[in-house]
Amino acid sequence: MLSLTLSGNCSLLPRLNNRRKALFFARTKRTSLVVSALTREKVAISQDAMADSRNLSFPILVNGVTGKMGKAVVEAAVSAGLELVPVSFSSADKPARTLEINDIEISIHGPSEREEILASVKEKYPDVVLVDYTVPDAVNANAELYCKFGVPFVMGTTGGDRPLLYKTVEDSNVYAVISPQMGKQVVAFLAAMEIMAEQFPGAFSGYKLEVMESHQSTKLDTSGTAKAVIACFQKLGAIFDMNEIEMIRDPEEQINMVGVPEEYLSGHAFHVYNLTSPDETVSFEFQHNVCGRSIYAEGSIDAAIFLHKKVQSKAEKKIYDMIDVLREGNMR
Amino acid sequence: MISFSQQHSIVAFRNGQAYRRPEKPCMYRTRRRGTVVRAVATENLEKSSKIIASATASFPILVNGCTGKMGRSVAESIISSGLTLVPVSFSGKENPGGNITIGDVDVTIHGFKERETVLSSVINQFPDVMVVDYTVPDAVNTNAELYCKLGVPFVMGTTGGDRELLYKTVKSSSVYAVISPQMGKQVVAFLAAMDIMAKQFPGAFSGYHLEVMESHQASKLDTSGTAKSVVSSFQKLGVSYDMKRIRKIRDTMKQLQMVGVPEEYLGSHAFHFYCLISPDDSVSFKFQHNVCGRKIYAEGTVDAAIFLHKKVQRSFLIFYVIYLLI
Repeated sequence: MLSLTLSGNCSLLPRLNNRRKALFFARTKRTSLVVSALTREKVAISQDAMADSRNLSFPILVNGVTGKMGKAVVEAAVSAGLELVPVSFSSADKPARTLEINDIEISIHGPSEREEILASVKEKYPDVVLVDYTVPDAVNANAELYCKFGVPFVMGTTGGDRPLLYKTVEDSNVYAVISPQMGKQVVAFLAAMEIMAEQFPGAFSGYKLEVMESHQSTKLDTSGTAKAVIACFQKLGAIFDMNEIEMIRDPEEQINMVGVPEEYLSGHAFHVYNLTSPDETVSFEFQHNVCGRSIYAEGSIDAAIFLHKKVQSKAEKKIYDMIDVLREGNMR
Repeated sequence: MISFSQQHSIVAFRNGQAYRRPEKPCMYRTRRRGTVVRAVATENLEKSSKIIASATASFPILVNGCTGKMGRSVAESIISSGLTLVPVSFSGKENPGGNITIGDVDVTIHGFKERETVLSSVINQFPDVMVVDYTVPDAVNTNAELYCKLGVPFVMGTTGGDRELLYKTVKSSSVYAVISPQMGKQVVAFLAAMDIMAKQFPGAFSGYHLEVMESHQASKLDTSGTAKSVVSSFQKLGVSYDMKRIRKIRDTMKQLQMVGVPEEYLGSHAFHFYCLISPDDSVSFKFQHNVCGRKIYAEGTVDAAIFLHKKVQRSFLIFYVIYLLI
């Protein structure tokens, strides 16, 4: 059992002092856990459901650790007590040999070594689950590779040829979780809106809808999640034109108007939906605000744990999405 | 003066320490406050009501409890939706005497003892009449017994009374009824969505922190049942929360300045705010449903009456078809 010691730096941003303390507490926990992962010991965490993680630990390989999402998933994996396979891949022909993430040395391999390395990983860790956060252009080739070696995988990368992706997986009978949205709780909220729209069409007839979304300025298109939620409200009878979505991309407005913390300007997803009755005596408001990547990393780990369970139980169904993961309930 | 957003910036209690979230001046919040102020039925409302009425055959409705605020509000909605308001109502008093005017309808108020005779004659005159009940908790069961005895379909808007007995009375009489403590149709839709989410995805929000605040008129002594219902869904979603932590705002100054309730609705409003925050503080979900006045309940009641009327008509149609076939 690892004792948690508070160490490390505490940011001194005054405005977010208490929020930072809470975040810091979470990060320190992860740092301590990462140290033990180096020695490949299984980590027993003494907090509520995590005590059972000893039974849930299994090897996990993250493809794309050189990227930001990949790194976040590595941290979340170790934090969850999973066994990180210290190997990853890069599209560069001669990548740097190793990458260090929180004191773990991960060896990076180029395209020419992929098959050989993956084969040996599968041999050494038969129950390995792979998490993919690479690039759209690599989605299909990677899926083919995983299917060739029968490695179950969580496809976190968006884009690529999606119908081909599904076909590749179906033909090979490999287990996979495929979802463009790995924010589990956002998927739950969206599903709830869809269910409401399906069950009670027109319940909000005549209601006026207003939508605002804010993302990092590099995101040029309108939020797909916002569009999906709006479609539900339209089914519920709300009056709205997709062109009316207010997209906030100016950092000044994001800080002052929307309230995005400064450190997350380059990585956030804030959404606000406001429904008002025709006579304006009733209003409903829904918000989902995400800072950083943590929610996607945690969701990916939930998906990996879910997939591991399905593989172990030799489930009949092979291809899953985030809704399946949600239906399974809390696994940690 | 603390704004609503600042108040629920005092949100999380973690490890016993009060945690103040940073203030977030939000554009949308200012907008919302402005839009909730106007309370009068607008042209839009009348248009949408007429659309409903024109799509439905008009039928007569008797509102029991017209002298009360909810009863009066429902009567007004009935008239504006193009349905027929039966110009008769009842009071809990023995000799109420007199009439009240709702819209351009003169409604005669009868005393408690005349209920059965007057209602019987109303049913004779209007065979497809329906009753909407907004009386008092103490009258719920005796009223239900009367409606069932005379075989008149009804919408029970009154809360309280012996609910089990109410259902038993209706079931044993085979009378058609809509019974719901919450007549705000859209609020019910939201509650149902939360409930369905909780049943489908148990534990999805495990570890999340919850804060709940509700504001109602000062005369409402108990905590919002609607808030409790939503909290119970969140509990199924894995959130650990004690119902006692629901913040009840009943002080009118706070309601005006902090919550943002328009002054004319201090005596009748229902504002609810829920905030879910992830364990590492990087994700938040916020839900609000804010109701001013009684219109939503009156409109919901009219929707319930129209729904019930269709059910009754359909059953008559089935019987008639069977009769023709025999």
